[in-house]
Amino acid sequence: MATITLPKAKGYERPLILDWITTVDHKKLGILYLYVSLFFFAVGGILALLVRTQLAVADNTFLSNQAYNQIFTMHASAMLFLFIIPIWAGFGNYVVPLQIGAPDMAFPRINALSFWLFPPAGIVMFSGFLVSGGSASAGWTAYSPLARTLGTGMDLWIIAVAMLGVSSTIGAANFLVTMFRMRAPGMTMFRMPIFCWTVLVTSVLQLLATPVLASALVMLFIDRNFGGNFFDPNGGGNAVLWQNVFWFYSHPAVYIMILPGMGIISEILPVFSRKPLFGYKAFVFATMGIGGLGFSVWAHHMFTTGAVLKPWFGFMTFMIGVPTGVKIFNWLGTLWRGSITFETPMLFALGFLSMFLIGGINGTFSAAVPVDFALHDTYFVVAHIHYVLFGGSVFAVFAGLYYWFPKIWGRRLNEKLGQFHFALMFIGFNLAFFPMHLLGLDGMPRRIATYNDYNNWELLNFISTLGAMLIGVGMIPFIVNVVQAFMRPKDQPNDPWGANTLEWWTTSPPPVHNFDDTPEIHSERPLFDLRQGSPGGH
Amino acid sequence: MPTTRMRRPLRRALFLVSVAALALLTFATASAQSGQPKGITDEARDMHTLYVFTLVMAVVVFVLVEAALVYAIVKFRKKNDVLPAQTHGSTIIEMIWTGIPVLIVISLFTYSFIVLRNVENDPNPAAVVIDVTGFQYQWEFAYHLDAKGANLDPDSPPTITQIGTAADEPILRIPVDEPIEFRLKSNDVIHSFYVRDFLYKLDVIPGRDNRFTVTAREEGTYIGQCAELCGLNHALMRFQIEVMSREKFNEWVASESAAASPAARVP
Amino acid sequence: MAAHGAVAEQHKGELSNGMLGFILFIASEVMFFGGLFSAYFIARADSAQWPPEDVLEQMKLAGTAAQSVKLELEFVLPLIATFILVSSSVTMQWAVMQIQKGSRTGLIWGLFISLVLGLTFLTMQMYDYTQLPFSSGDTVWATSFYTLTGFHGAHVAGGAIFMLVCLVRAMNGQFSAAHHEAVEACSFYWHFVDVVWIALFTTLYVVG
Ligand code: HEA
Ligand code: HEA
Ligand code: CUA
Ligand SMILES: [Cu+2]
Repeated sequence: MATITLPKAKGYERPLILDWITTVDHKKLGILYLYVSLFFFAVGGILALLVRTQLAVADNTFLSNQAYNQIFTMHASAMLFLFIIPIWAGFGNYVVPLQIGAPDMAFPRINALSFWLFPPAGIVMFSGFLVSGGSASAGWTAYSPLARTLGTGMDLWIIAVAMLGVSSTIGAANFLVTMFRMRAPGMTMFRMPIFCWTVLVTSVLQLLATPVLASALVMLFIDRNFGGNFFDPNGGGNAVLWQNVFWFYSHPAVYIMILPGMGIISEILPVFSRKPLFGYKAFVFATMGIGGLGFSVWAHHMFTTGAVLKPWFGFMTFMIGVPTGVKIFNWLGTLWRGSITFETPMLFALGFLSMFLIGGINGTFSAAVPVDFALHDTYFVVAHIHYVLFGGSVFAVFAGLYYWFPKIWGRRLNEKLGQFHFALMFIGFNLAFFPMHLLGLDGMPRRIATYNDYNNWELLNFISTLGAMLIGVGMIPFIVNVVQAFMRPKDQPNDPWGANTLEWWTTSPPPVHNFDDTPEIHSERPLFDLRQGSPGGH
Repeated sequence: MPTTRMRRPLRRALFLVSVAALALLTFATASAQSGQPKGITDEARDMHTLYVFTLVMAVVVFVLVEAALVYAIVKFRKKNDVLPAQTHGSTIIEMIWTGIPVLIVISLFTYSFIVLRNVENDPNPAAVVIDVTGFQYQWEFAYHLDAKGANLDPDSPPTITQIGTAADEPILRIPVDEPIEFRLKSNDVIHSFYVRDFLYKLDVIPGRDNRFTVTAREEGTYIGQCAELCGLNHALMRFQIEVMSREKFNEWVASESAAASPAARVP
Repeated sequence: MAAHGAVAEQHKGELSNGMLGFILFIASEVMFFGGLFSAYFIARADSAQWPPEDVLEQMKLAGTAAQSVKLELEFVLPLIATFILVSSSVTMQWAVMQIQKGSRTGLIWGLFISLVLGLTFLTMQMYDYTQLPFSSGDTVWATSFYTLTGFHGAHVAGGAIFMLVCLVRAMNGQFSAAHHEAVEACSFYWHFVDVVWIALFTTLYVVG
């Protein structure tokens, strides 16, 4: 095994910080992405706790209406644009080149550019809190004409999102070229690890959808700053136009936010069930299907505008349940007759499986147009958002962190603390978000800073707030776990889990150039084949 | 073997997962009765039935998948070091589990399509026409009722106008058992006219003529609220809606008209 | 060292990584203009008149538009500009063919002429802007006109800078028959910008 500490050249000490700032190494950039996006997860989470505190009781005055609108807007903007989307770029950066047996990404310097657009964008977005009028406060969806009328914070938000858009567009091109061109010999497209496939489809979505968001942002910026009339009916513009263009991006974007997570789950379930992924090809096609269908359903966010072709969008939305169902069943098929163990990554993967299911199913309610008339813009939708994004994406993030931690940092996280973390998060999550279904059905609109006590919404809201606090507490074992791990020496073997893909072939952590050699590749599980001494494949 | 050491916390975790799953299940089943109000309009009752149908499908899918998951977790735990059979897939099974959701989805869609048509098929003419104007941050209700019924002219100027304030939530009054048309207007940003017990909302969009008609079937007072984020005091755009008998409605109209200034009633 | 071997290997006639990446980038640009175009068409489909004179009348009444505003476009100048831009695409392609044959002088001349034509186009567009009897706030028609042509103009300017870089590198002798990828990338970009303009010209000036 290669040594981990490299001998330093005498007489010249390059400061470590400079090393990180100037790095073009995909592993370091990946780690930077992980750190920064986890930081924004904490920020977004703390904003969420403020939201929950305000809503804990009826007629609360903890936050002013203005503060509330800013805080939930920034909560969602941070969680989506500064946490979930970039953290997948982080995992992708670290893992994809390793999984395909490449020494780096195709364009290392462009990769660094993608990353370095990200922290400044976060700063620009949050600097809204410092300007007069405060930060953006039109929700993460920034509906116009409302967004035309708000203060400078809105412009900062537009600029920040545009920067992030550029970052993810060029990042997507980078991932695509890397996967098309830099696979190790023998690795055909259909022998690529499934995580790579999900990043590939995600990248296609980013490449094609994000520029459309950019065009929407441009129009909004022109409306706000150059007297434009795109969204102003008094100038002949169309108030619904923003929604069409925004959702044309943002529906595909919700798949950008989940597909890599599904990829992570599909890496973990086979390893801890000791079986190959059931229906690898079906899984790939289902991923493509979700990506493709994702472009044809955007107006399901707009049923109550009365300005869209409802049956068509309802039908296409229902159809997305089919490829997603294929994935769920393939995961079950993977577990079936396996030999399952429950290390922490697996716990989170199973948590994903059970909770994302709920999020998917309650999304289907909104696909039934007349049902959505009642549910739209109520807490039922907020429940949906969090079951897919927290129960789905966030569980996948933690599954991935526990799974690749030994590879990335050379240490293993403690199992007991991991189980504790999982249990608290799982319970807290359901307490926080399950009641929102009932609130929504009972007519509680979302995005309201306060509610009247004649509505009987108090009890459920209070439970939800407790749940949210519990999630916060649940982060403590995780933080302790990470800190403790960093105090231990790096002791992990190449492949601590008995996993199957190429990243486990090299040392933990890998050397700068990743591989000294790659094994022969006959299937999507080269290491499994090697352990069994037989070429696998199907 | 680490597995033996892990057994106890593992069993506990499993236990927790299944308890939570069961609890959710009970919740979901309970909400079949109480989750969504039944609704007070003809249209709402249609939509509520669709909701219940969707819920049943959802619970069935949920229970089956979650049961399979729990079963797999319990049944297929690692018992020894023997490698399980390395099945890569099965075309037949995969076709079945692609096919079944297609059928479910098509039936859901078909049903929802039928309901949608019923909901949007407005009877004409309406007995009362109300202009609903959303503004930052309240509502204005203007009633067209000069002909009070049969030969109503909805395009004549309204005879009663109420403007709400946050402190004084307006009450929208409509007669029971008669089709009422709402015409939604906005001059600033987008609002959404939402009455919980209609199980319905429609956005109030500047530059767009959105209208809908419903027939309420149950007298009583219900809550309504703006459902589209429209700025600072979005949360305060609340109102109430009172469904009353035709007699009471006429009385209210008469008293409102009398209260209006005589100058406005020059013959 | 199998992994490195695979990366170093580059088949002849196949797109290089850089080129592939660049084409993907252009695809994203197509989507960007797609977004702007769809806004234009939605606004148009929505309007009773196009250009929306009725809206302008109301804006004049409300005092949000000046009385002198007219929703009219000059046609001849943009038509000439169109010919110029299209010819620059031809000369650009000629430049690429020259370097493929190994002619550096041809390349330099081709690039130089294309650059001059491109800059002429930009100058004409800017002159046109100063002459138009409406500004960006005078109805959605004007807003989308300036947005579409403005972003196209910005892309022409970007392409011109790219060309200038290629020209300087060509004069320094950095390109050869075997190695001239940057020039090809530049020509792809220039053709893309040209195609967008043709779509724009047809939409805004011909169909009106
Ligand atoms: C990770 C993010 C993510 C994901 C994956 C999804 C997935 C889905 N979403 Fe969701 N959605 C959001 C994030 C996401 N969504 C967000 C953030 C919003 C709110 C935006 C805002 O307004 O702020 C939103 C809003 C939203 C709406 C608008 C609601 C409204 O405002 O009124 C709708 C409407 O149709 C919808 C539908 C769906 C559907 C059908 C899926 C499907 O992909 C789900 C498919 C999965 C399953 C169905 C489960 C598994 C399948 C089976 C077990 C097979 C058998 C099942 C059947 C036969 C049904 N979503
Ligand atoms: C990935 C996406 C994501 C995630 C993870 C979350 C996580 C959470 N969300 Fe959010 N949310 C959205 C995306 C997300 N949300 C979106 C898109 C909206 C719609 C916004 C809109 O309408 O525009 C929304 C809206 C939304 C609302 C509705 C607001 C409204 O409509 O008025 C609420 C209300 O309760 C809420 C709550 C929460 C809570 C309690 C969490 C919790 O799960 C958070 C838990 C996390 C933590 C607690 C942080 C962890 C902390 C550390 C690591 C550091 C330790 C520090 C301390 C605990 C002090 N969210
Ligand atoms: Cu009006 Cu919200
Ligand atoms: Cu969507």
